[in-house]
Amino acid sequence: MSIEFEAERRLGGFRYGAGLAAKNELVVLFGHSGAGKSLTLQFISGLMRPDRGRIAIAGETVFDSAGGINLPPQHRRTGYVVQELALFDHLSVAENVAFGMPREQDRRHRVAELLGLLDLAGFEARRPRTLSGGQRQRVALARALAREAPVLLLDEPFSALDDTLRNGMRRELLRLRSELGLTILFVTHDLREAHFLADRVAVFDAGRILQDGAREEVFRRPATRRVAELTGVANILEGRVAGFEQGHPVVEVAGVALRCAPPVGRIPRTGDVVDLAIRAERVVLRRGAEGGDQPNQFSAVTAEQFAFGSTHTLRLEPAGAGPAVEVELAARPYEVLQGAARREWLVELPPGDLHLMPRDVD
Amino acid sequence: MRVPADRAALATVTLLAAVFALFFLLPFAGLIDRAIADGETWSLLRTRQVREALVLSFWTATLASVLAVVLGTPVAYLLARGHFPGRAIADALIDLPIVLPPTVAGVALLTAFGRRGLVGEPIEAWTGFTFGFRTTAVVMAQLLVAAPFYVRAAKSGFDAVDPQLERVAYTLGASRVRTFARITVPQAWPALVAGTVLCWSRAMGELGATLIFAGNLEGRTQTMPLAVISAFEGSSLGLPGAVALSLILLVAALVVLAAFRLAARNGARS
Repeated sequence: MSIEFEAERRLGGFRYGAGLAAKNELVVLFGHSGAGKSLTLQFISGLMRPDRGRIAIAGETVFDSAGGINLPPQHRRTGYVVQELALFDHLSVAENVAFGMPREQDRRHRVAELLGLLDLAGFEARRPRTLSGGQRQRVALARALAREAPVLLLDEPFSALDDTLRNGMRRELLRLRSELGLTILFVTHDLREAHFLADRVAVFDAGRILQDGAREEVFRRPATRRVAELTGVANILEGRVAGFEQGHPVVEVAGVALRCAPPVGRIPRTGDVVDLAIRAERVVLRRGAEGGDQPNQFSAVTAEQFAFGSTHTLRLEPAGAGPAVEVELAARPYEVLQGAARREWLVELPPGDLHLMPRDVD
Repeated sequence: MRVPADRAALATVTLLAAVFALFFLLPFAGLIDRAIADGETWSLLRTRQVREALVLSFWTATLASVLAVVLGTPVAYLLARGHFPGRAIADALIDLPIVLPPTVAGVALLTAFGRRGLVGEPIEAWTGFTFGFRTTAVVMAQLLVAAPFYVRAAKSGFDAVDPQLERVAYTLGASRVRTFARITVPQAWPALVAGTVLCWSRAMGELGATLIFAGNLEGRTQTMPLAVISAFEGSSLGLPGAVALSLILLVAALVVLAAFRLAARNGARS
């Protein structure tokens, strides 16, 4: 099932203008709050009307400003879970779930099925208020699924959960997507959540989509410096293009020449100021002095380090030429390298992971 | 150890509260005492005049409340949710009959619906129907004076319903009507009940507007408060009659209060 979406809207000083299309996949709408992610869901569900645009759900045009089409939310086939859940507290769990079901359906059977699916069997007669946060979120999800809509719109539905529950719900969601063949738009500002769930990621900023692509593509090859910042790339290095070697740009950063992956979009020219992005977990650390004069290597010393249990983050300052970098190591390699004791390192930025982002020419 | 200043404050507060409580309770004690002393309360309650006043009061107040709910609910919902020019003004005007002396409301009704009234005159010329001095007028007077209490309560009830609930109901395919009936009204239910009770009680006690617009005709427009007035002005009931009628109104008020408390508590629990 598919969704095609394009909308523009002015809201006071805020200008929204975005478009995306999805089919049988989970698209994460990623960005800070106020970037326009939730607004996108409201446009699609029909709760808010764009000034201009066109929206089609499963091939049916539900909004078209040019054609004068604007179906009310009731006639748009979306299941919408809002951030606050908005459960009907005066109704039981079963009544909540049955609320959006088509009249002719065997409701009791279907309610039991959905509650079973979401591990809520036995809670039929309970009031939502008496449930835990995770249970409430599953009730909201079951209620949205009950409409059997081809498109599911989820606005930070797991934000109130603790990590264990959240992981369970995420797995549940992935299962539902593959079992029911849904197109899911999932709003979040949580990087890990985006990583875990997304087939595709659309990065929102100030009412625009800055980049929309496969998850790995967006996370490893951000289109612009801003996308790199938003998606949590720890190392964004400014440099100047020194030349090209077999199609690979060579960029001079803080006195060292770094060979990069071939650029995806516009090819920069020699002399251009560009930004390089490499995620902290992509940086390679070697014990000092071995290796030597390989390309993309330079010496550095540990300035600070932080332990996060499963990972360790090291902030390195260059010993001579080269940029300061942040490196993330998993617990095991960290121990093998004796990260706690060692101060001097040979840093390697693998060319395949060093991504070049041209600057916009305004 | 209390600071001396706090002690003095506590004593003052206790004293003031006691004075207030006495002032509040003594009149009711007097009423009950007098009813017992008179010894004829029970027989007075069964006179035709009292019975008629009781029945009239009861059903006019009930009819006025029903009308207030039917006409007032859409107004309350529009005031809570609607965006239209003059909403703030309409919202303020709703309170007018609450702050206005009821006698003014009576005069106003007379000038609009009386035989020489703005609307009353053409209607009489056209159909021969007059509003004044009949039971219809009683209900109209009660409606004007009491309905704002319902609208005010219902509006705050609707205000307190999270609009997000309604929006989600729309996305679940529920029409606006179904959403209103299944989501909004149940969510606002305690406020709607409270408003209805307030409205009914106010209608039961309505005197000034009724007296002016509907007159004081036994069996037709003489509600209980009017019968109390008549008893003082020398009708056959006399002062013992006024006491008996007052006692009924007091008991009715207590029953309504108790029922309302119970209903509110049950509503909160479910």
